[in-house]
Amino acid sequence: MGAIEVSNLQRDFQTTIGVFKRKKKTVKAVQDISFEIADGELFGLLGPNGAGKTTSVKMLTTLLIPTGGTARILGLDIIKDADQVRPRIGFIFGGERGLYWRLNATDNLRYFASLYYIDPAVSKKRIPYLLEMVGLKDRADEKVEGYSRGMRQRLHIARALLHDPEVLFLDEPTMGLDPVGARELRQTVRNLQSEKKTILLTTHYMFEADALCQRVAVINKGEIVAMDTPAKIKDTVNDLSVVEIEVFGIPQETFEKIKTLPVVESASVEDRDQRQLLLVHTSTSAEAIPLLIAELQGLKMGKVTAREPTLEDAYVRLVGGE
Amino acid sequence: MSLLQNIKRNLRVIFMAFEIEFRQSFTDAFVLFGIIVQPMIVAFMALWMLKDQVADYAIFVVVGSGMTGLWTTLLFQGGNSITGERWTGTLEPLSCAPAPLRAVVSGKLLANISQSLLSIAFCYTFISIIMGLPVSIAKPWLFAGSILLTVVAFIAFGLIIGSLFILNPDVQRFQNGLEFVVYIFSGFLFPIALLPMWTTPLSYILTPYWAARALHAASSGSGSNSEIYFCWAMLIVFSVVYAIASKFLFKSILRKAREDATLNMQ
Repeated sequence: MGAIEVSNLQRDFQTTIGVFKRKKKTVKAVQDISFEIADGELFGLLGPNGAGKTTSVKMLTTLLIPTGGTARILGLDIIKDADQVRPRIGFIFGGERGLYWRLNATDNLRYFASLYYIDPAVSKKRIPYLLEMVGLKDRADEKVEGYSRGMRQRLHIARALLHDPEVLFLDEPTMGLDPVGARELRQTVRNLQSEKKTILLTTHYMFEADALCQRVAVINKGEIVAMDTPAKIKDTVNDLSVVEIEVFGIPQETFEKIKTLPVVESASVEDRDQRQLLLVHTSTSAEAIPLLIAELQGLKMGKVTAREPTLEDAYVRLVGGE
Repeated sequence: MSLLQNIKRNLRVIFMAFEIEFRQSFTDAFVLFGIIVQPMIVAFMALWMLKDQVADYAIFVVVGSGMTGLWTTLLFQGGNSITGERWTGTLEPLSCAPAPLRAVVSGKLLANISQSLLSIAFCYTFISIIMGLPVSIAKPWLFAGSILLTVVAFIAFGLIIGSLFILNPDVQRFQNGLEFVVYIFSGFLFPIALLPMWTTPLSYILTPYWAARALHAASSGSGSNSEIYFCWAMLIVFSVVYAIASKFLFKSILRKAREDATLNMQ
């Protein structure tokens, strides 16, 4: 039995369109996903924005009721046994919400400790321990409104760990953090894994998933399109080569034309300050590079490189170049 | 887990929620307006309107305008604090913590009510010292007992109202309407006898009506002791009914909110 067992989970949302003649529309946020996470495993759920990651986590943390399928946490059904599931899980959602900004870190944790029925004598020791663990001990008496984004994120982690849960759900915990803050947070996640906690981490940072997760599932448009170890998922793009070209002000029509070239499997553009990085997946970089340079004729170009594919490239191929 | 232990740990949640709510809201200018300024404005208008209409009108106005402050604070601050939790993203962790959300909301309501009880003190000061009118409480012990039961009754009533705010943020649109409905049907500032007969049953099922009646009778001495005790009995009965109803209401509303994904505001 896995710590988390998800079977054909689905979630639809109803929205309305129009002002006068309002029509109901059903959006399928999660469609028939199934996976199992072993006890003590760090599992990654990867996907672009709107892929269904947060909706999946919200169902597993009992915040949303699925429209179909089942899920069990530590053998307990997330709908029927929600009251028994809650004391055994902890969760954080990316971003700065979910804390009381007009209170300090200690009072935030005191409040949540009472909600988890933690004995005051225990919380009196546990709160300073957790604040030290997340590096907020020296700022514990300051109001949260004065905290940086990274500090708030770390306070979220402390809140989620107050009751020492067996299963943790971390929904994009490093979103919006500066590189140092993100690195520190990843180290905290590693430490939690060494404590044998089962962790479900969602992210769209591929290097993060590669560095932390034992297995990952890629979710796109509500469906799982791949699930394996990061190494094996990378293997799926062994046939590919990645060409990176630095350009300055690439027009949309040029980019669209590049995507239609026969040697190009997928292409994307990343903004890098005043320049862009054109990323092209191809099976033959030797053939592709001259064709690409020809298409970019007249534009100012920087470095042109060909490299081995990464997990991110495998991800891009899986989600269709988005 | 024994019943006693369960009560003890939930009481701890209520007092913690009380402390957090009290500390967070007491610096809010809107709250201070509802507690201090609004009851004085209502008191001033009521003094002018009721001068030749009601015997012992000064104490009637103190209690009546104090009750309006109590109800306004409960409705707006209690309701808005739940909407605020939704906006700040804290309603989700509160809803899926092991402690019942009802205990958290009870603590919040207790904080709101404690703050608004100050309304009565401010009204008393305004009318007796600033306006110079004689204000005396005819039956102080029965008045104190009525205040205590009023607090309990308002928490029970607030749990029903609070559950609606959890269900859907759009309930906020009806706040102003609800404010005056309860003012009128509970007889805060004029007797319900002035209303059409068919509205009387509606007043009878509102705990604020029995609270206002008990407080008016105890403060002015216009009602007999047995009438006050009868109001207390009704307050207790309806508070128990509301508290039991709120248990089922919270359960079904939380389920509905999880189905409709309304616990968070994205």
